[in-house]
Amino acid sequence: MSVCRAHSLTLSGIDALPVEVEVDVSPGLPGFSIVGLPDAAVQEARERVKVAISNSGYKFPTKKVIVNLAPAHLRKEGPAFDLPIALAVLAVSGAVPAESLKDAGVVGELSLDGGLRGVRGALSMAEGARREGLRRLVLPEINANEAASIGGVKVFGIRTLREAVDFLGGAHEVAQAVPEGNDGSPGNTETVEDFADVAGQSFARRALEVAAAGGHNAIMSGPPGSGKTMLARRLPGILPPLTLDESIEVTKVHSAAGEGNGALIHARPFRAPHHTISTSGLAGGGSNPRPGEVSLAHHGVLFLDEFPEFNRPTLEVLRQPLEDGHVTISRVAATLSYPARVTLVCSMNPCPCGYAGDKRRTCRCSAGQIERYQGRISGPLLDRIDLFVDVPRLTRQELRGGLAAEPSAVIRKRVAVARETQVRRQGVPNSALAGARLREACKLGGDSEALFGAAIDRMGLTGRSHDRVLRVARTVADLAGEHDIAVEHLAEALNYRRSSFLDR
Amino acid sequence: MTGSERSAYLFLSLLQARTGTSFVSRLGEIPLSEIPEMRASELGERVRMTERATKAFDELRQGFDPESVLGDVERLGISVVTLADETYPERLKAVPDPPPALYVDGELPMPDLPSVALVGSRKASVSGLDTARSLGRALGERGVCVVSGLALGVDAAAHEGALEAEGVTVGVLGCGIDVVYPRSNRRLFGLVRESGAIVSEYHLGEAPLAWRFPARNRIISGLCQSVVVVEAAEKSGALITVRHALDAGADVWAVPGPPGLPECRGSNKLIADGAGCLWDIPEFVDSVAPLPVEPVRAKASRLDASVPAGLPEGEAAALAGVGFEPTAVDAVAGRSGMRMQEVLSALALLELKGYVSRDGSGAFVRRAGG
Repeated sequence: MSVCRAHSLTLSGIDALPVEVEVDVSPGLPGFSIVGLPDAAVQEARERVKVAISNSGYKFPTKKVIVNLAPAHLRKEGPAFDLPIALAVLAVSGAVPAESLKDAGVVGELSLDGGLRGVRGALSMAEGARREGLRRLVLPEINANEAASIGGVKVFGIRTLREAVDFLGGAHEVAQAVPEGNDGSPGNTETVEDFADVAGQSFARRALEVAAAGGHNAIMSGPPGSGKTMLARRLPGILPPLTLDESIEVTKVHSAAGEGNGALIHARPFRAPHHTISTSGLAGGGSNPRPGEVSLAHHGVLFLDEFPEFNRPTLEVLRQPLEDGHVTISRVAATLSYPARVTLVCSMNPCPCGYAGDKRRTCRCSAGQIERYQGRISGPLLDRIDLFVDVPRLTRQELRGGLAAEPSAVIRKRVAVARETQVRRQGVPNSALAGARLREACKLGGDSEALFGAAIDRMGLTGRSHDRVLRVARTVADLAGEHDIAVEHLAEALNYRRSSFLDR
Repeated sequence: MTGSERSAYLFLSLLQARTGTSFVSRLGEIPLSEIPEMRASELGERVRMTERATKAFDELRQGFDPESVLGDVERLGISVVTLADETYPERLKAVPDPPPALYVDGELPMPDLPSVALVGSRKASVSGLDTARSLGRALGERGVCVVSGLALGVDAAAHEGALEAEGVTVGVLGCGIDVVYPRSNRRLFGLVRESGAIVSEYHLGEAPLAWRFPARNRIISGLCQSVVVVEAAEKSGALITVRHALDAGADVWAVPGPPGLPECRGSNKLIADGAGCLWDIPEFVDSVAPLPVEPVRAKASRLDASVPAGLPEGEAAALAGVGFEPTAVDAVAGRSGMRMQEVLSALALLELKGYVSRDGSGAFVRRAGG
């Protein structure tokens, strides 16, 4: 038989699509070509496969070898087809039983000595293999743990081409990979900085607790040196633990970006891109598409320090993910979608010089300059932010006289309970409440209704800020373990509304 | 004769707007009506003129057509009052350097109506804005015309206060009569035009150049018998208005602020230098516009450092922790010893009841007479 097939997978977004690798060896001038819309990295597989096969002690056929990657309309990229091509070539020459490739998905990059290198998106590929009805998945050992964590397909991690040949031929036993550290335990938070080290700023601390509990987007405004960044860095330590499904999604995204650590991710991601980031760096994309920062922060926190310094068109791409929870990237070749359900936390100075409203230093900016600076953030983006937190610079007395700081672990427990309550009640965090579901979850009693009416009149709440206050009040009540939104919860939520200068 | 004087003043006004120098005060004995016909060199001999001014004079004289200048503005419903007209505000004539012509969009208040200028910082604190608004309202209720500069901050708050009381208010611009600057005050411009007038000495389309604002301050002070500085830092445009007011013989008042606060240093220093101390709004309103009959004893200001009775315990404790200068939430929590969430809900309730207000930087401040 001169045609042999191997099953492989390729990433599209964070999902794996099946690719069939067909190899035909026919008499003629010796040659090696790959067809089926391969990109440069796939073309280079010719050299790697040829050398790896010889260096592993097998003979590369001195005939005309044609590799077809089907379906031909799908653009193939990356070096993960090295191993399936090599195995299919060896199957033609009989070194590998062709039968053994029928029920196995194969991915892996070859090095010249026949060793295997890791691939991107192992978890997605395991999921794809399961969906395609493949019983086994053969892939580099370094990816085995991650791929095994999804279950439903037997995962075998191998180290070299030779080992793969022996394993498929039955000459060598490879233990089925079992997931490690997949007991649903919270992620490793010991390395994260603790809220107990923060002196003062109990208002901002409380606001971040509310943000973490309800998944609310927040913006912190204050002069330089007031501790905005320091506070945000401690946010991951109080985020609720990931559920297993969320863990798998987060791992898929990170793995697709090549940032996986070879195991399931248990800690909520915290991403803090610099303000010089490009649009595709933030949203994802590129000719060889990979997820951007907003997707890498999926189910976690995207922290944008110095918010107004970001390029405005760059920030505008956040509108879709904040609204829909995913990013769509349209290219000539394909349209991809990456999940991006993030809690957005931003920091900004109140004015260009940074000292508007500061007690000790006088602001040198004119009223017009301040207005322009704050106008850099577009209204539609501000509309997606629930919590507006002013972080003043504290004097030494205030720093010393503040309330005793709670450690992150204590806050985290409260947050986790509040988040569980929300998911049990409505299936989503409070920040995602809107329309009928919002009215259902945030019913107000007589007293709170009266207070809210007064607030709408006296504080000039608009329709959108009205919904924001309700969502936040719901989270405050959940943190207090209350079923109904009481007056004190609503009153606290009113403090997180937009301060007048941002409300135009 | 009046017609030619009118066009002469109009000509001078356009010339002044272009050069930024005043000619009205230097004319001396030169008969007005001759000016547009004079040659620049001739005038230059009698009035010291810079080279630039001479050039501007010549350029302007060539294309000058009073009918078309007047037609342009009148088509927009804007009237022109020159120094030659009887309707020109009497008090403004007394200014050392009166504008030769005023463009008026709306209606100038009756000459016998008392008017008070409210001026202050564009970046005033909440309590400053509060005071400006209350003053504007109190004056409007008493039928006093409130004059200000239609800028951000104190100016806008003063106009808004007067409008709330449905009083008469006049806004003086430092740019062309049809130019809305700052743009965010667009709505306010319309309201002021309806309840009084917008006034400027600049023709259509003139840009809001920096030097025009100190110059417009002389009109603000010239239209009023008293000038009140609500809140001003040490180097503030409001203090220029004060200088003009002293030149024009108007009274100067200042609202006292907390000692040492940079935003209030200018206004506090005025008090130290002998300006009237505006310590109580009803008392002030009585003094600028006494009621013809026995004045109704205004209720005493409720500004009181002690906490009013009848507040729930938590709110009382939080209120005691808020000062008269902006206090951060953390400081309130520290002073009252309450938990953050309790402090927050107490402060929001106090804000709704009108005891405190929150400023742009999130700090809270006690309100006078909430």
